[in-house]
Amino acid sequence: MNNAYSISASELYQLGRENIPAELQSSKNLIYSSPATLAFNSPGAQGFGVKRAGLAVPESVMLLVSPGCCGRNTAALGRDRKYADRFYYLLQDDNDIITGRHLNRIPEAVKEICDSREQRPSAVMLCITCVDALLGTDMERVCRRCSEAAQVPVVPCYMYALTREGRLPPMASVRRSVYSLLEKMPRKSNAVNIMGYFSPLCDDCELYSLLQQTGVKHIREISRMESFAEYKLMAEANFNLVLDSEARYAAQDLSDRLGIPYIELANLHNIDKIRNQYAALGRAIGCNFDDEKFYNAAAEQIRSFTERFKQVNFAVGEWLNADSFELALALLEMGLKVVEIYGTIGERNFVYLKKIAALSPDTRIYSNLSPSMLNYSAEKSNVQAVIGQDAMYYHPAKAGIKWNGERRQFGYQAVNDLLTQLTEVLK
Amino acid sequence: MKSLLKYLSPFAPDMAGAVSVLFELEGLIAICDAGGCTGNICGFDEPRWFTRKSALFSAGLRDMDAIMGRDRQLADKLIAAANNGKFNFMAMIGSPVPAVIGTDFAALKRMCSQRLDMDILAVECSGTLYYESGASAAYCELFRQAAKEKLPVKADTIGVLGATVLDCSSINVGKLIADKLEGDVQIYGMSSDFQAIRRASEVAKNIVIAPSGMKCAKYLERKFGTPWEIADLSLPETTVQAALAAGGRKCLIVHQAFAAAGLKKQLLASDDKMDIFCGSFFNKCSNISDFKFESESDFYDCIEQGNFDLVIADSALQRVVQKIYRGKWVDFMHFAVSGRLQEELYQAV
Repeated sequence: MNNAYSISASELYQLGRENIPAELQSSKNLIYSSPATLAFNSPGAQGFGVKRAGLAVPESVMLLVSPGCCGRNTAALGRDRKYADRFYYLLQDDNDIITGRHLNRIPEAVKEICDSREQRPSAVMLCITCVDALLGTDMERVCRRCSEAAQVPVVPCYMYALTREGRLPPMASVRRSVYSLLEKMPRKSNAVNIMGYFSPLCDDCELYSLLQQTGVKHIREISRMESFAEYKLMAEANFNLVLDSEARYAAQDLSDRLGIPYIELANLHNIDKIRNQYAALGRAIGCNFDDEKFYNAAAEQIRSFTERFKQVNFAVGEWLNADSFELALALLEMGLKVVEIYGTIGERNFVYLKKIAALSPDTRIYSNLSPSMLNYSAEKSNVQAVIGQDAMYYHPAKAGIKWNGERRQFGYQAVNDLLTQLTEVLK
Repeated sequence: MKSLLKYLSPFAPDMAGAVSVLFELEGLIAICDAGGCTGNICGFDEPRWFTRKSALFSAGLRDMDAIMGRDRQLADKLIAAANNGKFNFMAMIGSPVPAVIGTDFAALKRMCSQRLDMDILAVECSGTLYYESGASAAYCELFRQAAKEKLPVKADTIGVLGATVLDCSSINVGKLIADKLEGDVQIYGMSSDFQAIRRASEVAKNIVIAPSGMKCAKYLERKFGTPWEIADLSLPETTVQAALAAGGRKCLIVHQAFAAAGLKKQLLASDDKMDIFCGSFFNKCSNISDFKFESESDFYDCIEQGNFDLVIADSALQRVVQKIYRGKWVDFMHFAVSGRLQEELYQAV
């Protein structure tokens, strides 16, 4: 047994959603900061945080208005040529963070930035932080003033770490921001947007061909938009497909403003559930998807993988492109063994716990954020293979895959890719 | 506009400086923030965090904590975490959130000290100041809390203050410094342990290698009578050689004040006809540097008007003057500016 706090799946399920132990609740403890939690504390350190996500609008630039500390890690992002000349910083000093006098300088700064560039930006994304959250800054008003001064659209991006577990977390809010420049235009029945991720789905994801089966010709993702003009065409979509619940707020906003309805798909790894989800999508848009070949290929891969590796003890982390509990359950339903899960259990994913507890009652559940994880010892664990960058940190000597690449996997393709990558490291 | 950065990313902030001083001392370090500041420090400004286990925590403040000022709850969390392991001390480090809401760190410290038997440090940072300020505050608080006893002075012991990754741009600089000194060398915060801090009164002399260590050196002089002097012991040999080989006539060195002055001395020793000026974005240390750059435009103006034919500075600064400067440039890495390490250079080579 490890000295880090953990609880078995069956014990946790018995306690119920209302009685999750304090050790598994981030709000009840200090948050332990290890390389396993970097994605939690600093989503932008690797992957997409608010700053990088805000620049999803093609040809835009970002002005970060904050104390110097908030923009510090952007130096690493600036080394990427795609972002090198797109970040600007207006630094707040001690007087600013008390009096809010910096607000008067923002329009002038935006104008200076726009004037200094050879080509005017398509938009200026104005990113503000906890300081302005506490000052109660009316950023919509500030953006209007900036827009008048510089004659470019100026959009607020709220990097409010303080509201991370609130109704509108920063990563949900920034998704609304990046689609907020779309303006109403005639909708086309053969156009669809895929929303949710800031990088494209893998080219071989079956979602593209399934949509094409129904006559869709234009499948747009913001990360594939090369120019602002191309981005604006996203407003002609017949409907939006939302693949990440954090994009729900943005999709709702597009529904309200532009009348584009949206359908939400979950990121699942159980192929029967994937099939049901596609069938439900087909019913919603009035057509039938033929996913037989994708289903069969995934089923065959599961069969051969399970046959080879059913004795392996897996651990599933949460720094990956999946919900740790959903993925752990999918692996258990394939017939594999999951002995440890490092994840954050809550209202959203407690539903998976009932089945995990039934299939594998002894699976230990840890919270990456618990201070007791300082005492986690891989030597006291029987884990043999891991999924997730956090899990790889705990078990550096074990076979493992990060499963958190920038290109996003989805549906049957995700299952195939997951098992292929695992096979590579396990063989 | 002075506060607008168009070419550079912000430099290392005060919290990063504080963490840099305390990181290796096996204490519990809690950054009183919402999470992002901790992420910035761990993911960027503290490269040692990736290679060694540390008890670094975020207070995980949320909007209601800030609005309601739930200090009691924060103290409870700090105490619970401190009771969860063996730590030499507990340090609370400020961030913009406590700075805005006016957190009373002295009170927080008192609340914790009533229930914990360990040294408790509070370093009030706001995220608006540079790393030197946070590092300086951390050194002072550390020695104030931990070095209380006056011990007999050992003649062959030397203390080194100011050795941080942020200034020296290397995680292994401790060895380089120790090799340059004779006797029992204690490099505080870098390769020396917490006991060395407790026994700080034993050292015969303190050597200060960066401005961040100066205030603490003065404190130790007042408290224990320990004399101190400034020296640069962390200049990378590759930079020195490149600067010597570059052979300019009018030269500008940009770094932290002591490092720039140290390099100037070495260059003048080789060629006393060189016209050398020093500048810094950080503490100018009045009589040491010639220029203090408050902004990108200050640096731009200095280069435009200075007629330099050699600039020795972190290459990240090159971007500011790329349109006007045509002379030679020698890279003088400064982690607090660019976030680059000497070790990366060796790997690249």
